[in-house]
Amino acid sequence: MDFKEDPRIKTARKILFIASSFFALYIIALLLCSYLLGHEPLLFGLPLWLAVGNLIVPVVFVVLLILVAEKMIPDISLTDDDEEEKEKNK
Amino acid sequence: MNPAIISFLFYTAVLIAIGIWSYRIVEKVPIAKYEDEFYAAGRGLGGIVVALILAGGMASAGTFIAGPGMTYEHGYSWVIINNLQIFMNLMALAPVAIIIGIVARRVNAVSYLDIFKARYQSKSIIVMLAILVAVFLLPYMGAQFVGAARVISQMTGLGFLTSLALGSLVVLVYCILGGMRGTSIATLLQGFVISVGCIILFIGTVNYVGGFANSTRILARLNFDFLSPTKNGMFPAAFAASIACMDAFIIGMPHALLGALTYKNTRALKRGIWMGGILVLIWTLLLCVAGVLGRAIKPDLAISDEISPWLAMNVMPKALGGIVLAGIVAGIQTTVAAMAIVITSSIARNMVREFKPDLSGETMKVLTRLTMSACFIIAISFALFNPPLIQWIIFFSIGGLEAATFGPIFLGLYWKRGTKWGAIASICWGMIIYSLANTFMPKSVLLGTHPFFFSVLSSMLVYVLVSLLTTGPSLDVVQAFWGKKTVAGK
Repeated sequence: MDFKEDPRIKTARKILFIASSFFALYIIALLLCSYLLGHEPLLFGLPLWLAVGNLIVPVVFVVLLILVAEKMIPDISLTDDDEEEKEKNK
Repeated sequence: MNPAIISFLFYTAVLIAIGIWSYRIVEKVPIAKYEDEFYAAGRGLGGIVVALILAGGMASAGTFIAGPGMTYEHGYSWVIINNLQIFMNLMALAPVAIIIGIVARRVNAVSYLDIFKARYQSKSIIVMLAILVAVFLLPYMGAQFVGAARVISQMTGLGFLTSLALGSLVVLVYCILGGMRGTSIATLLQGFVISVGCIILFIGTVNYVGGFANSTRILARLNFDFLSPTKNGMFPAAFAASIACMDAFIIGMPHALLGALTYKNTRALKRGIWMGGILVLIWTLLLCVAGVLGRAIKPDLAISDEISPWLAMNVMPKALGGIVLAGIVAGIQTTVAAMAIVITSSIARNMVREFKPDLSGETMKVLTRLTMSACFIIAISFALFNPPLIQWIIFFSIGGLEAATFGPIFLGLYWKRGTKWGAIASICWGMIIYSLANTFMPKSVLLGTHPFFFSVLSSMLVYVLVSLLTTGPSLDVVQAFWGKKTVAGK
């Protein structure tokens, strides 16, 4: 009996890669802005590093996440029956 | 009567109504499907509920009480540390959800240990993990109850015991009556209350202190270190980076898998990920900034963890304070509910079945509810002792479980060659090394990293080495996890 890999496994690997890269980018942006920007000038009355690194960066990344999540995960069926039906319909 | 108590009691009454309502839904489900419904809500949860189950389950008293407490203590530097957790839904779901979603539907897995069972087909792993889950998560539940009771008692003036009963018994009602179905409906209400509570607390605090510019001036006068990203060298960037690595290992946590086991389809998965990002952003950022502002309002609080209840009581009308109180307690209750489901499923569904595989549906149903009641009784009795070493227990149990299970879950899902002996060795090694690293091991061995880091990496290595030395899993397992079609189906 030979083994044929489910094509959805490839999708899973791709999602793993995108999610980890996204998380790493966020951490890098958060840490760089927080530790390198410095105190002055104040933004919204808050220290610059805080306002940029810890308000703007998280909000921007959460907005980006909506786009990334919607694009990263394709609409695939999770059951095996649907997959067969689709193949029949082709 | 104190208006704060009235709004809190109203919230509790709605939760009880949800419990009874979900009980009627669960009871209508045929007995053969009962466990699917009780543990995984029929594997049909939509995006917002998946987002809330995960975010609410993972954000515990640590986020809602200790988070603002730490920023009160250490100023804005600790906001960075808390911001590292904003994308926990992404990291808990994205890496594993597709494979678990497919496998769960093939082998009918509804619990955390069902996945281990399908992957490793080993009785010893199930028994070992069920015991670990119970031993570590029950005190964790108890610690959460203590956190909730302290907040309620502080804000309403009720005694510790009454507060404990008020915060914990209602969770028992909706968990036992409705299982995952009850929890998912309750979570919708709780997620809303938490978010509204956080927003009210934030706006109220900013208003009271007279805007950011004013608070920054006051903080600078108090101690300029509060405005420094490192608290003047106390928390260097390397410290934040090592915490960030820990956040990435969230996959091994049993309650982090609840989302992957229950989501309905890929649409729910996507929404669960990004909605989770929005929710955790609101909960974390607003509360933590409010904690720092609290320092500018009341610089001399003896116990920093009391800052969010103190703000709720003192900077806004009492009735609004009651909503904030409900929000904080709701945040803790969602965690307890998730834990209760994980522990109950591990024992009643997985461990008992290893010894008595042929129990009838009716017996399982009774057993499920009895086990869950027992969980709550043990956790609440634990809370009654009000133990001082709680923080250590929380820290140890979460880290230990992650160290033990990260390799077997994560590598097991992507690497066909991983074997049951690899998993057993990795679990034992992870537990032992983690215990040693936290107690006896000299710090120099760890090269300055967090003990957790060393434990996870070395137990992953053990998993790989032992797997390579033993025979790989059977073709059935490989087919079920990565094959194009199920063996059973064809």
